[in-house]
Amino acid sequence: MIDEPYRWVEAIANRREYIETELANGSPTIGISYPEGQLLLTFGRDRRKIFEIYDRIAMGGIGHPGDIERLRMLAIELASTEGFTRSSADVSLRRMATYSFSPTLKQAFEQIYGAPYLARLLFAEIGQSPEEDLFVRLDYDGAMAASAMVGRKRREAFGVIAGTRRSLEQAETFLRSVKAGSLQEALEVAVKAWGIARYTSDEDHHDAPDSAVLHDFLKEQLREYVVEAAILERNGRSNVAFAEVPESEYETALSPYRQ
Amino acid sequence: MEFRQSQSAIPSDFVAILRQRGLIRGEWAQSTGSAGSFVETQATTILAFKYGEGVLVAGDRRATAGNIVMYDRADKVIEIDRHSVMAIAGSPAAAWEMARILEHSFQFYRRSQLQEMSVEGKVRALSKLLRDNLGMVIQGVGVVVPLFATYERQSSDPAKVFFYDAMGAQFEAADFAASGSGGPAVRSVLYYENGWGKKLLRERSGDEAITIALRALDTAAEADTATGGVDHHGKIYPIIKVITRDGISTIEHEKISSLYQSDLA
Repeated sequence: MIDEPYRWVEAIANRREYIETELANGSPTIGISYPEGQLLLTFGRDRRKIFEIYDRIAMGGIGHPGDIERLRMLAIELASTEGFTRSSADVSLRRMATYSFSPTLKQAFEQIYGAPYLARLLFAEIGQSPEEDLFVRLDYDGAMAASAMVGRKRREAFGVIAGTRRSLEQAETFLRSVKAGSLQEALEVAVKAWGIARYTSDEDHHDAPDSAVLHDFLKEQLREYVVEAAILERNGRSNVAFAEVPESEYETALSPYRQ
Repeated sequence: MEFRQSQSAIPSDFVAILRQRGLIRGEWAQSTGSAGSFVETQATTILAFKYGEGVLVAGDRRATAGNIVMYDRADKVIEIDRHSVMAIAGSPAAAWEMARILEHSFQFYRRSQLQEMSVEGKVRALSKLLRDNLGMVIQGVGVVVPLFATYERQSSDPAKVFFYDAMGAQFEAADFAASGSGGPAVRSVLYYENGWGKKLLRERSGDEAITIALRALDTAAEADTATGGVDHHGKIYPIIKVITRDGISTIEHEKISSLYQSDLA
């Protein structure tokens, strides 16, 4: 079959369509930089979706739990062995994503007799200053989008993964219009961004919801989902930046939708 | 960075992964040679004891090679994770490597398994590293005799101190432990303070505990040339770390200096 170029292209297109359909209903993960750190937030039902990878790196994912797990373990092993043999300062998300993750995902995707990774990942790496924070989105086909990469100059203070391209774009448009000056503000913004991405992943919802609709939508979603949030602290006491956000902190951000 | 997942029988075992990737040696030193006239660097004297708020771990700063002072600012008290400290006596080459492996193993376990390794598991992990080092020990180099102290928040008796022999046997100390060439002197001081002092070690405040640690190390240095003790003139003070409910903190040199001075007066 792969002897014929047309068949190969067709097979790849089918595979892409299949994966996109599978991912379309995934719960988005929102990443936001604020002066003291980076926040990753998502809504889920039962399994964890935000993970610590290394001292300054965290990950969120949409997709098949088995594939996310394989990629998560690969990331941890990669970062840990690099950090052990050299130094934790040599573990870099840019290198990990460009030289390891992207080629591996692409290869698995294009080898049509093997299984692709059914996953879309968002990585966050905390910098010395907010300008050096990094968010990287990696897709099942190895496509990569970074909030900053050239000359370590930040383009955007956020990163998003969502089920569909439209919901991704809607969330990004919203995030470009806001700024988070504290963790509390970051939580509020992230909850809204999640709501927008989730709302617009529905095929019938083409445009971002207005604030009243978003409010009701989030209220309804909270009956079904629980919030999961973690931060990377910029200047914490320990080398390990990852910490889960305590319930008391995110409940304040959710309180408008609880009534 | 090589992108592949190691096929370990226990995927949470970072040491097995390092071995599989050839990043550490499997069985230490299989050769039949002996140390001969090689003079190895040695680090001594360390101590750990339980006090009112948790555990105090201290070590002098001297590293020697034979009768040479190699280094007078060695750090033998190493933070392994948020609530665990390892102190080393013996060969720094082997010990620092062990500390590094241990630190990465615990982190790897937490990250991959999404839970902390139990205190028992941590204590065992160090024991296993010592056991793997046996080949070296038999040849007379790379001997490590560490202490391991941790604070287990959920436990009714949260402060824990463990000591080891060079083969990896682990012993839990009731109140205190010491290791290295100055160890016997330190043990005597701690035993005396605990038994005949004003209060039990467990009832001492933070400042009192620091003072006792300084007295013990100073006493050890009096008769043991391999122990640096407290060098007040050179302003080289022991490394002292305390582990409490809130985690580990390192006592600043200024504080050690002022406590030492007021204790002498």
